[in-house]
Amino acid sequence: MLRVLMAACLVSLAIVVVVVIAVPDTLRADFTYAAASGLNTLDPAQMSWTKDLRVAVNIWEGLTAYDPQTTTPIAGVAYFPPKVSPDGLVYEFTIRPDARWSNGDPVTAADFVRGWRRAVEPGTAGDYAALLIDNIAGLGEYYDWRNQAVSVLTSLSRMSAGGGDRAANHRQSLLAHALECDNRFARTGIRAVSNSTLRVTLARSCPYFLDLCAFPTFMPIHESIERLRERFEDVPLTAQGLVVYDPQWTKPDYAAGAKGNTARTRTVRAKARDSLASETGGSACRGLITNGPYRLAEWSFKRRLRLERNPYYRDHDRIACRTIDRLVYSDANTAVMAYEAGDVDFLPGMEVHYDHRLVQLSAAGDRPDFHNPAVLATHFYIFNCRDQEVLGRTNPFTDVRVRRAFCLAVDKKLLVEKVLARGEPVSDHLVPVGLIAGYESPPALTADPAEARRLLAEAGYPDGRGLPAIDLLYNTAGVDEKTCQVLVRMWRDVLGARVELRGKEPKTFAEDKVNRRYMVARAGWYGDYNDPTTFLDIFRSDNGNNDTGYVNRAYDDLLDQAGRVSSATERMALLARAETILVREACPLLPLYQHTNLMAIKPYVKGLYPNARLVFPFRYVTVD
Amino acid sequence: MDAETRSGDINSSPALAADGAPAARRRVWARFRRNRLARASAWFLALCLLLILASMPFALSWFDMQGLENAVRHPPVVTPVADADAFSGQLRQNPLGRWFTWAEPAAHYVAGWMGYDALGRSLLYRCMLGWLVSLGIGLAAACFAVVFGTFWGAVAALAGGRTDTLMMRVVDMFYGLPYVLLVILLKVGLEGPLRSLLGDRAELANVVILFAAIGAVSWLTPARVVRGQVLSLAQQVFVEAARAGGAGTLRILWRHLLPNLVGPVVVCATLVVPQAILQESFLSFLGIGVRAPIPSLGRLAADGVQAVNTFVGFWWLITFPCVLLVATLLALNFLGDGLRDALDPKSSQAPIV
Amino acid sequence: MMRVLRRLVLGLATVAAVYTLTFVMVMVVPGNPFANPERNMPPEVIKALEARYSVDQPVKYFFEFLAGAVRLDFGPSFQYRDWTCTQIIASALPVSLTLGFVAILLAVLVGVPVGVLSAVNRNGWFDVTTVGLVMIGISLPTFVTGSALLILFAVFAHWLPIGGWGSLAHLPLPALTLSLPFIAYVARLTRIGMLDVLTGDFVRTGLAKGLARRVVIWKHAFKPALLPVLSFLGPAAAQAMTGSFVVEKVFGVPGLGQHFVDGALNLDRGLVLSTVLVFAVILVAFNLLVDVVYGLIDPRIAEAT
Repeated sequence: MLRVLMAACLVSLAIVVVVVIAVPDTLRADFTYAAASGLNTLDPAQMSWTKDLRVAVNIWEGLTAYDPQTTTPIAGVAYFPPKVSPDGLVYEFTIRPDARWSNGDPVTAADFVRGWRRAVEPGTAGDYAALLIDNIAGLGEYYDWRNQAVSVLTSLSRMSAGGGDRAANHRQSLLAHALECDNRFARTGIRAVSNSTLRVTLARSCPYFLDLCAFPTFMPIHESIERLRERFEDVPLTAQGLVVYDPQWTKPDYAAGAKGNTARTRTVRAKARDSLASETGGSACRGLITNGPYRLAEWSFKRRLRLERNPYYRDHDRIACRTIDRLVYSDANTAVMAYEAGDVDFLPGMEVHYDHRLVQLSAAGDRPDFHNPAVLATHFYIFNCRDQEVLGRTNPFTDVRVRRAFCLAVDKKLLVEKVLARGEPVSDHLVPVGLIAGYESPPALTADPAEARRLLAEAGYPDGRGLPAIDLLYNTAGVDEKTCQVLVRMWRDVLGARVELRGKEPKTFAEDKVNRRYMVARAGWYGDYNDPTTFLDIFRSDNGNNDTGYVNRAYDDLLDQAGRVSSATERMALLARAETILVREACPLLPLYQHTNLMAIKPYVKGLYPNARLVFPFRYVTVD
Repeated sequence: MDAETRSGDINSSPALAADGAPAARRRVWARFRRNRLARASAWFLALCLLLILASMPFALSWFDMQGLENAVRHPPVVTPVADADAFSGQLRQNPLGRWFTWAEPAAHYVAGWMGYDALGRSLLYRCMLGWLVSLGIGLAAACFAVVFGTFWGAVAALAGGRTDTLMMRVVDMFYGLPYVLLVILLKVGLEGPLRSLLGDRAELANVVILFAAIGAVSWLTPARVVRGQVLSLAQQVFVEAARAGGAGTLRILWRHLLPNLVGPVVVCATLVVPQAILQESFLSFLGIGVRAPIPSLGRLAADGVQAVNTFVGFWWLITFPCVLLVATLLALNFLGDGLRDALDPKSSQAPIV
Repeated sequence: MMRVLRRLVLGLATVAAVYTLTFVMVMVVPGNPFANPERNMPPEVIKALEARYSVDQPVKYFFEFLAGAVRLDFGPSFQYRDWTCTQIIASALPVSLTLGFVAILLAVLVGVPVGVLSAVNRNGWFDVTTVGLVMIGISLPTFVTGSALLILFAVFAHWLPIGGWGSLAHLPLPALTLSLPFIAYVARLTRIGMLDVLTGDFVRTGLAKGLARRVVIWKHAFKPALLPVLSFLGPAAAQAMTGSFVVEKVFGVPGLGQHFVDGALNLDRGLVLSTVLVFAVILVAFNLLVDVVYGLIDPRIAEAT
């Protein structure tokens, strides 16, 4: 009996081995880099995570592109520099005649209009839609109007679920609305003057507009996406009036994803998808069509993403790496070991527990392949400035003196140098110091425990007596626990405050932060473009990313004024004045340090430059 | 078994004396004593417990003493590195610690023997508290699981018929849920309401949720075992006699069945405790175990494992918690095995073949 | 036959019950599946998304999802917006199945002979060593053994790749790590089972009848000794084949285990429900298989029901 069992097991094992061997191995790509998690999305209008943006800038190309070393805008699909009106509000881009999609079609201005319009649609749920809406004329009104219409149509769709007369009415309203959408959009500041000319009218002065044009939200979209648009009967909208596309459009092969995402309303699936199979250009073009130096060859979930050189790209014979692999290692330690062993050529991030040692090696020059550049990002904590009561206790942070006391009590040097030891510069500012040309950071608060105690006593809590237990909210998925514990200790030692840590999973953390269910919360911000407003805008009273509840009309006015002024120096001075309000007077935030990013690049890889924006265009990379 | 799976290996049913006569109990005890491994494990656990309880006043004061100036990631040393004044100040502030200031110099002297962690805290005292927390969670979860499971299984067996089937189907249903999912959802779900319930002492909420979640997935095996036991017991003569004498179901349960269930239930418990500790360490590895700054052995081990690398040696961060964890689990497992062997006379006989 | 059919029906009922319970838990747990810790979404967008995905109508979602699941269409994932749950599971399940299958095979190949031999040579050196090793195997957390093996093989003796998946060389380390606790449990159960049988009556009878020792052990005692191992292997195989989060994280294996955890932590309802359904179905299937094998081994059971 035992013999039978053993024999059966051995035979099964042999079968498994044979099957595994039979599945063909993929050859190693010319260039391999590692990531900590799978891509959230490849839709350029929806993406907001750096890992997604990193891939997008390589498979799409906008009107401008990033210089690999300085990350300033250079020529992209359009000639550089574009024609700008004297007041700086009207830009005219001329698209190069040799700009092509990965299936050979020429890139037209209409592709940009389609892409930008898509990014602004509520259905796309783009996190970065604000970059378009705030800056381009007419888009703000269009967006608000669309949101209202969607609310109305959503309730209409619920009422007409039964069918009959109501359903017919519903369809009529949707049809009328769709037409009205086209009309209204034609009146906004985005216009395709001809096939190759795009005219953009801005709503306010935006000196960094060319920088924005390289950002993935501003990428063009090929017309083939229209065939995957979700329709309600024959109307190109969903029952709620949203503009939604089958998420499978980002796959390299539509047919493989054909089974997915059924809509829950009465829709007619576009049958023209099959006609896509006849498009020219190889396997990649049966699906996602892009216009960048690379195109998507293969995408297996959380395992590997493979890019291949786009044969229709204008400079394609000067691109050295034919294939690029993106591998997923969810354990940071394993990723570092893979790099050491040579399985991976580039590690964009190393969030391990011994990173201080790696930084040491990098700084001492022992490991020239480790780089630790300063990044356009600040790590700070925010205070709940609005609610009087939080979690059933009084919230002392509505008093500016308490906020300033807590800011002054932190010894940032000790935290950054002894505990974190990652070479991150201490920061007392919101906008990273010295990284944005032309911007001079104003003087800010420096640590002063005596003053902190005095302020706290003045606010009515001498030596911390009478202070309720302070709630400190942080994200357990990050590496912030050490920082939080140090803050707890510092506030206890200097102010006598009792602080309770509350760590939450990312989703609950985000919700609590948005709903202001915290007293102090961990925050931070990565700059999206090279201008102080990318940081300063988040503290505007009406900004969706303002989780502090901080409202200051004077601050908003300063920012609006800066948007109207034409002189660059005057503008920067106004912005510096605005930052002073934040970091010296009102203190809705506690800046701790400026981020650096530890990365590893193998010595045989050339053309990859550590920069402050963490932008890596792979078309310049050569692997020896 | 790693923490993600449950074992259903309690299959052997110890033969029990019909009424728990003292002679039988003495025989069980004698058999247990003869098992050297089990004895050694019991001694080891008792010694650990004693040592750790003795160190509790100091551990409770010092487990979060951050020595940021010069103790960060310091390797083990004989004389302590961190500031003595801060230590004695902290001890005096602690409600339990202030009775033990006389022992302070000795207690502070050993603080550096296991090195310091990333925030300059003494690993020795964190391990001490962590051991207690882990064992506490394990015991609490086991208690909950065993009590609830016993109740469930006994009622099901005694009720019989449809009720029995229904109750066992519920058990099957819970078996059908992936344990990992269940624990995470329970934890995420219970956290809010429990926090508002506990109000000020919200740090405890986390620990309570942990053992509730672990207990909620551990009661299934005891339920099955107890049901099997009660079914076999209920058919024995003494129960029939009791019924003939007019005793009600509850009385039978209490006076006659429960004393005989002690054996298998205790064995169950000693197997649930190490599993619960492993499950807690798994949750800490996931990042949703015991929250900072409270340590637990699993948490310390998980953090230590993530510090393993080829660049710099932090051997003390990994070695001490892991060794302590594995030793404790081994001792608990040996103890459980010894108890089961002691209660089952057949297993101590030499095989005939 | 009737027995198997009845078990099947019961199994389906269990799957349905599991689905309902999970659904309730998922709906009750607070949290907005569309929240993003780094950026905030305008409220209208969130409402529209909720309407689009039927998040705000639980009962409708319950039946829609079930209807879709029967067609193997598990709906979209709320966290990974470009992927449907079907695609995610389809890419992860074969990996987990392979890994789990190899782990269970190893467990049986190594655990059973070891258990039998140690039972037969009770209290001999082999037995004592085995018991010791088995205990250690049960007491070690997987992340410790996994990391240790990774460092040992992949760094110091670079014979095998550091994590990932795709070739034969990626199989041994994770399979070994996954199988260690199973080997320990199988060895232990086999040993206990053999001991139970070897002290039993029919063995005595067999010897009295004059059968050789070897025949008694391997031909007669072995089969019933396997019963506890079998009933353990049913759920254990289901657990192993639906992925282990620790092994997948440490070795970078793109299996199903991480999706249980990720789905729960991200409040991705679609993914949670689909993985739970897959797990429940696999578990029921394996329990059924174990029942059938039970019947084959022990005819008394087949007759009794």
